[in-house]
Amino acid sequence: MKAKRVIENQKSSEFSKSAPQVAASVFGISKRFGKSSVLENITFDVAEGEALVLLGASGSGKTTILRVIAGLEQPYTGRVVLHGRDVTDLPARERGVGVIFQSYALFPKMTVEKNIGYGLRIRKRRRKEIKQTVNDLLALVQLEEHRKKYPSQLSGGQQQRVAIARTLAYKPEVLLFDEPFGALDTQTRVHLRREIRALLRKVNVPAIFITHDQEEALELGDRVAVINKGHIEQIGTPFEIYNHPATEYVATFLGAANILEAVVRDDYLEVGSTRVPAQIDREKFKTGSCVKIVFRPEDVSLSRSDFLKTGQLKVSSGIVEEISFVGAYERVRLKLEPNGGDTCANGDTPYYLTTQTPEAPTQKSIIATRPKPEASSVKLNIGDRVVVAITSYTILPTQEQRETSATKS
Amino acid sequence: MSTVVSTMKHVRGFDVARPLSIGMLVFMMLPLVFLPLASIFIFGTSNGLDKFWAALTAPEAVFALKLSLATSFWATVFNVLFGLFAAYVLSRYHFWGRNALIVTISLPTAIPTAVAGFALLLLWGPYGTLGRFLAPHGVQVMFTAGAIILANIFVTFPLAFGVIKPVFDTMNRSLEEASATIGATRWQTFWHVTLPSLRGAIVSGALLTFARAVGEFGSTILVSGNLAGRTQTAPLYIFAKFNEGQIEAANAIAIVLALFSFLIFSVLFVARDWLDVD
Repeated sequence: MKAKRVIENQKSSEFSKSAPQVAASVFGISKRFGKSSVLENITFDVAEGEALVLLGASGSGKTTILRVIAGLEQPYTGRVVLHGRDVTDLPARERGVGVIFQSYALFPKMTVEKNIGYGLRIRKRRRKEIKQTVNDLLALVQLEEHRKKYPSQLSGGQQQRVAIARTLAYKPEVLLFDEPFGALDTQTRVHLRREIRALLRKVNVPAIFITHDQEEALELGDRVAVINKGHIEQIGTPFEIYNHPATEYVATFLGAANILEAVVRDDYLEVGSTRVPAQIDREKFKTGSCVKIVFRPEDVSLSRSDFLKTGQLKVSSGIVEEISFVGAYERVRLKLEPNGGDTCANGDTPYYLTTQTPEAPTQKSIIATRPKPEASSVKLNIGDRVVVAITSYTILPTQEQRETSATKS
Repeated sequence: MSTVVSTMKHVRGFDVARPLSIGMLVFMMLPLVFLPLASIFIFGTSNGLDKFWAALTAPEAVFALKLSLATSFWATVFNVLFGLFAAYVLSRYHFWGRNALIVTISLPTAIPTAVAGFALLLLWGPYGTLGRFLAPHGVQVMFTAGAIILANIFVTFPLAFGVIKPVFDTMNRSLEEASATIGATRWQTFWHVTLPSLRGAIVSGALLTFARAVGEFGSTILVSGNLAGRTQTAPLYIFAKFNEGQIEAANAIAIVLALFSFLIFSVLFVARDWLDVD
């Protein structure tokens, strides 16, 4: 009955979807271990029923954020608020959060049922009520036939579902997933994260995920916060952070990104000696200032002539250096031809490439990917000279601009 | 806990090394272990089972056995609880002097038991460091059952600790963290999560301690006074009867003690699967 009520409660709160209620928020969390700062001024909130992903490399501090919310670690400064209740000074057991540990942390000497009922048993609920809740949750996570088994007898995915059911039993304020798919093989993790996504929609409990896997973050999150060296680089929908990265780190962390330096002019950007028409936010970028433009390999289109389709903006021309077949698409590495122009005052490297691909970043190269139809209709060979155009790009503010705009807001 | 034994496939035909090596092993153990054990049983029952039964049920013999079991029991209770506590503290907290404490706890097994008994006498005896202040008040610690328990505690001190601590060390800390986030108090976490994982270690630690304490001789003979019917434990009874030339009496108790330790180790061996259940 309890579990059903959990679901119903949250369903009834769905009417407020238009104006999402804040379920959990952290304000200005910072944390230090000795002299080194682990977290700096972390602030974000999670709406009712929302899934937020904290994405970052290992050592970025994302796990610490989770542990601070759970009450397993104390922040140096800042507050943690769950459903309007300031829990910063409460111990973990009084916060009512559900943590799904990377190792699941199921109690090895308890059966599946006992694990799920644990939260209610220690709350001294009536036996009948516990039994009912456990039954409902077993049905929810589809593990009815495994109720008498011990965790060691279950697969990784089943264990994880037990771990989720175990936290849902006591109606958690928020679910915290610590690298939930880290220990699983690729196929299982893809399958599982879809399952969890569907499950979360059903129970409508707000969730915070931690991952270092960008693909996972984009698929799981309603919003994604990219964490780097203890601070939030950007927080936004998967679409926003992938297509409009706010910083170079975000751009490169979320997959391969080409980055070129450019100079802001009145109504265009100057990349080398090429003029790229652009709509420029005058608030942010002054004429003559030096910026970086970032675009994804799939935003690059290559053609043999200067004749471009609408929406394609020529940035340069280049020589095909390498063509590799990567299954779904073809990846082309191009060396851009130096086309004069004193791009930036300090402009030692007008072009460069950052990718997460294993090959060493080659300066003055960019990477383009071409879908199969295009790859087979316009065959390219190594050494071919092609016109490089882009269909979409983002202008990255430089470090100083970011800081000034941050202080303004 | 079944292990698959691989057969040696690299040997063609009948492997002679197999029966030879097994036979060799048994042959070497014969004079060292099997025959001494067998002779207790052969000798003890050679005069007929009724004589054996009479020697076993002699009041002093029964008393010695009971005293051994009782003193070992209390020493075991103490050392398991202490070992649990010490293991918890020493694997959870890192502090200055931690290693020194671990070494000190482990020390008593390395000390000859006679030295241990002597040390206790020097502390609690009527002229001992502490004992001389207690003696005028009529408090006599040595030469009582309490002294035997103290000696047993001392010589079996690190046994339970040594079995329990590694389990604590390798225990997944996130289990306890999970329990806390679910809402359990420290005590509830310990009772429902930590303790069940230690079940095997506690049982085997207790059995080891008990087996060792029941057989303790060197320290007991010094601190107990060896008074028949009052502070004489089973091993002391064997020794005393042997000195008096009453080989049958000594032998009857020896059989019981041998069977007893055999039983304990059988339990440990058979219960291993149950104790390790995940």
